[in-house]
Amino acid sequence: MRIEKCYFCSGPVYPGHGVMFVRNDCKSFRFCRSKCHKNFKKKRNPRKTRWTKAFRKASGKELTVDNALEFEKRRNIPVKYNRQLWDKTVEAMRKVEEIKRKRQAKFIMNRLKKGKQLEKEEAISEVKKNIHLIKAPHAGKAKQLEDKMVQKLQEDVDMGDDDI
Amino acid sequence: MTRVRVVDNSPLGNTPYHRPPKVIHVYTKNGVGKVGDTVLLAIKGQKKKALIVGHKMPGDRMTPRFDSNNVVLIEDNGNPTGTRIKVPISSKLRKMEGDHSKVLAIASSFV
Repeated sequence: MRIEKCYFCSGPVYPGHGVMFVRNDCKSFRFCRSKCHKNFKKKRNPRKTRWTKAFRKASGKELTVDNALEFEKRRNIPVKYNRQLWDKTVEAMRKVEEIKRKRQAKFIMNRLKKGKQLEKEEAISEVKKNIHLIKAPHAGKAKQLEDKMVQKLQEDVDMGDDDI
Repeated sequence: MTRVRVVDNSPLGNTPYHRPPKVIHVYTKNGVGKVGDTVLLAIKGQKKKALIVGHKMPGDRMTPRFDSNNVVLIEDNGNPTGTRIKVPISSKLRKMEGDHSKVLAIASSFV
């Protein structure tokens, strides 16, 4: 028993689910549900249909090159049965799954962090552009002028002291 | 009168003829032929028996659907006429009782 991958959406096809189609060039296609099957019959390209994993990987939205993903590749050489190997494989599968998930999540988080930065910059520029809605244009100017005059007077006084 | 695609390498099945091979009789109780049923074909002006190995019609759950109605030429005693079958064959044939063992033996891939 083997859990295959759907040709269209790359989702898991469990036994008893989905449809299998064999084309006349002897290539077989598995589909997880009729949604994928119908899209295939409409000749849609999975690499261009936005909700499929094929699209996400092709457009760099998800982790593509990683050691953890190498474990999922199909091996065509049967391995001799060894009970210890079997037990260790089951444990390893669990750990690899965990690591894979964390790495995929990290990848997506990193991708989305740039969005936060861009948002911040946009907010700042928006505030600068529309500051007139919050603050009147000559709002702090009078006080600034006063402070400057006070400072100048202070300087004159100091200069006067120095002379004397 | 379904037109059918012969998938073995028998000379009768592969020599071109101006009319495609057609099914003229189905050896089942109801006239519907599925994978593993014998049918009578009219090929090159002769009558010949054949075994259905894959059809376009959706069949049992967990069986593949093929892009064409594939058929393997067979003698009256169940021996296949050709020596090799390159096209993938529905693995339902393996489970079915009936002496298709010789046909299974010359098939190269199962789906």
